[in-house]
This record gives sequence, C-alpha cells and structure tokens, in this order.
Amino acid sequence: MLHYTRGQCRKKKKLQGFCFFYYLLNMAAPLVVRRELFSLVKILGGISQLGPRGLGACSNHRKCSQTRFELLQRPNTFFHTAAYLSSTPFTITVTDEPDTLFQKVVVLVKAHDRAVLDSYEFFATMAAKELGITMGKVFEPPKDIERLTLLKSVHIYKKHRVQYEMRTHYRSIELLHVTGCTAQVYLEYIQRNLPEGVAMEVTKTAMEKIPDHILEPMWKDHPIDDKSSK
Amino acid sequence: MASFGSKVFLSLGRTNVSGVGFKKTGNRATYATALTVNSSSTNKARGGKGSTGRRPKRGPGEPRTEKMALDQDWTSVYPAATPFRANAVPLPLRMGYPVKRGIPPEKKGNLELIKIPNFLHLTPAAIRKHCEALKPFCTEWPSALDTDAKCDELFPVKIQSTDYVSAGPSIRNPSARVVHMKVKLSSLNLDDHARKKMLKLVGDRYCKDSDILTIKTESCPLRQQNYDYAMYLLTVLYHESWKIEPWEAEKTRADMEEYSWEDSTSQKNILDTLLRINATGEGEEAEVREQLLGREEVLEYKDSVETLKNEEPSESNMLRYKEAVRKVLKV
Repeated sequence: MLHYTRGQCRKKKKLQGFCFFYYLLNMAAPLVVRRELFSLVKILGGISQLGPRGLGACSNHRKCSQTRFELLQRPNTFFHTAAYLSSTPFTITVTDEPDTLFQKVVVLVKAHDRAVLDSYEFFATMAAKELGITMGKVFEPPKDIERLTLLKSVHIYKKHRVQYEMRTHYRSIELLHVTGCTAQVYLEYIQRNLPEGVAMEVTKTAMEKIPDHILEPMWKDHPIDDKSSK
Repeated sequence: MASFGSKVFLSLGRTNVSGVGFKKTGNRATYATALTVNSSSTNKARGGKGSTGRRPKRGPGEPRTEKMALDQDWTSVYPAATPFRANAVPLPLRMGYPVKRGIPPEKKGNLELIKIPNFLHLTPAAIRKHCEALKPFCTEWPSALDTDAKCDELFPVKIQSTDYVSAGPSIRNPSARVVHMKVKLSSLNLDDHARKKMLKLVGDRYCKDSDILTIKTESCPLRQQNYDYAMYLLTVLYHESWKIEPWEAEKTRADMEEYSWEDSTSQKNILDTLLRINATGEGEEAEVREQLLGREEVLEYKDSVETLKNEEPSESNMLRYKEAVRKVLKV
C-alpha cells in the first residue's frame, strides 16, 4: 500500500480522471462522444467553418457565392489515432448567399522590431500572390517613438533622470478587389501566423448597392399628408 | 515516494500527449528533459544512493543538423511556429553584440535567437503548400467589375470598418464598433430641392470637392447595430429631403445656398444705371429693361458677378469683373 501525502492525492485523482476520459472515448456511447468529437475536431481542424455574413445582407444579389465547408462524422474508434485527421475528406459546399465585395482591404501591422516586419511583409505579399489577390501599395509609414523621462532614483536626486523610449514600426499592405470569402481565408491565414509581439489593424471597405427603399421617395405613392414615417 | 509519484505523473503526461496525437515533437523533448533533470536531482538528494540501480545517463549525442540531407523537406522539420532550436537549424548563424572586439556569439545556447520570433516555418515552400490547400476556399472577383468607376456606378455605398488584432488580457477592442458609411450624392435619386435640403440636413458630413456624404456611427455597442443605424439614417435623410414642408415656402434670399443674379440688388442697380444713362424715354420701362437684359455686356456682367459671389475671390475673377463693368458702362 503506497503512502500518499496530500500532494500526491491530487495527482492520483488526475490519473483516475485521465483513465475515465480514455475509457469514455473508447466506449460506444454515441451521443456524448459525438458531441465531444465534433467540438474537439472543431478545435483541431485547421480551417474553421466558413460562413461570412457580410455587413448586413442587404439586397445584394451577386453572382458570386459563398463556400462553406462541412466535416464528415467519423466513428469514434479512430479518434485517438492520427489516422483520423489525415484521412478525412473535407467537402466544400457552395451556397447561394451573396458574397461581400471589398473594394479595399488595408492591413496595418505594428511591431517594435523592423526586421520582423520585413519578414512578415515578405510572407504576406507572397501569400497574396499565391492566392491570386491583386495588391495595391505596400509601404512603410514612418515610425513612432514614445519617450519617457523618469527619475533615476527612488528618493530625491531630481537632477538625475533616466530616459526610455518605445519605438513602433509600421507596415501597410493594401489589397484591392477582394471577395468576402477570399478576404476571410487570407486574413485568417495571415493572423494565425502573426508573430508574437506584433499587432494588426485591418480596415475593410465593403461596397454595396443602394438599398431598395432608397431608390424612390415614398411620398410619390403616398401623398404628403400621410405623415407615417418609415 | 515523491519521486515515484512525480515520475508517474510525467510519464502519464507523455502518454496523454501521444494519445491525442497532435502535439509537436518539441513538447516531447521538454518532457524528456524534465524527466532526466528530475532523476538527476533525486540522485543528488539521495547522495548517490540510487546511482547503482539507475541506468547510465545518455549524452546529448550529435546534433540533428549532421543527419539532415541537403534535399530534405524543410516544411516537416518546422511545420508550425516553434522557438529556434540550434541543433535543428543547419545554418551557421551568429547573433549578438561582439564584446571586446570579438565576434557575435554562436547559435548554440544563444538566447537572442530564441527570443526573436522566427519565420522558419514560413519558408516559400511552406507558403506555397499552405496556399495550395487554401485555394479551394477562395472565390474569384467578378470580372465585370475591373475598374473603380464601374464599381462606384453599380455599388455606390461604401462601408468602412476596422478590425484589431493584438495580444493582451482581452481580444476585444472598443474601437472595432465604429462604422463609416460613404455615399456619393450623385448616385442617389435626388432632385434639386431634395439635394439642397439634404445638404442642409447633413451639414459638415458632406464634402463638396468629392461629392461624398460620410456618416460615422459609433453610438451603438456592436458593429452590426452601428451599420443598421447608418442605413436607417441614410433612409430617413433621403425621404425627409424629398418631403416639402409648408414652412419651406418662407425661404428667403439669405437662406439660399448659391447667389443668383436674377431679381437681385445688383441687377436692379445695373438696370437703373443704364436707364439713366440712356434716358430717352422711349417705350415702357419694362420693355426697355428686357431689352437691356438681353444685351451681351449685361450678360457678361451677370456672369462675372455670379462667379465672384459663388466662388473664392481671386485675381482672375476680379479682373473679369472689372472688364465687364467697363464694357457695360462704356468706359
């Protein structure tokens, strides 16, 4: 009989917990496992479900359609092996929901290190070229330096100060004429590979048709005495 | 006891890792080193008591770079973003400050190389592979909309919004809810009165040079709400500008947006002056006035006065006005 101190008791519970989990996975309990399986696969699957809802689905009947991708459910016996992830065929379904059109997508990356931004710019431009996205300007806005002057000592010695500065370098990449699906794919790819310590701002300019209710003034059908506003 | 318990835990951790099947090789390496450190510390703690029963400690062995072929698949060495590993990167790198006129330190055990983010997992070959896999999810831009002019003609409403990605305690950014909506007024169905009323309602939000109305909404907490509010504002502005209220009939000369020469004091003055110059008293006054209005010099004078009043006063405008006055008064 092993003598466990209080610390070891907690570890034993974890061991039990793990065994239980493994047992659960291998059991043929369909409902529970399938839900877990699906949620786990959602986390594991590299590319998540695509379902771009453009900013407002106004009557924007475009010929372009949206791609949505669904996972096939696999039996739970294969889950704990690597065979699951490599052999699942992904099906891409194309829906008739109108796709958003972005006239311009501007990606501004900010970092403290210029070399990191150089590499990232190479990566982003190459990815855009490979995916067939037309690129506009790729330039480097001037850097910002924020300087602080603080007292060097904890107490007194006002004449002796220390100065710090924070440099923020920028890089701007402009993409022209991108569809909603392509923009989502590209931006997700770019953002997943964003290095540590780099921030990004994405400004999207979507174009839309004039909504139907602004084409004609409503006072034409209804006379001006009708004050009921829309 | 403590060592046994902890070793069990660590081995448990390793099976857990392999069981799920998606952890990287790097993590297995960290577990392995943790295991050896633990055993070595326990050896020291026991004063070498367990050394007879232990397996002899393995050395580090030769680095992996020696075994790498020149035409290997680099994307499988660095498939995802991982810190720099000196014995897995076959490049003779040196990084650091050369102290005392020396050379930058080598890559083995170099913290600077580990600290900086590396792009070893994003080589051109890897990017190509990723893009090949991502291609099926992209859609093509409609070929009919190749120029900006066509886009503006068919899709005049532009919605601008910003997303922010940064590291911090929260992934939310309150500035992400701002929506800018830009429309060219020429693309809306507005008549003269409606356009003038719209400009009065909108005020500063209209840019005269580019004929773009910008509505910026940030009062709602969510972007979708701000977008709906912007569309609502546009709808209301449009319909209100077409409405003709009874009190709009009281519009005076001071409310007019542009200066018009007809029935202005300038017209009255010039006609009175000309009548007094040509005071022959023939025919009725109204006929004479009409005659005078039809004259070329008077029309030129009218144009020059209108340009002076409506546009910015400049040298050329003033000169033109001077010439027109000279011609009219025959000076």
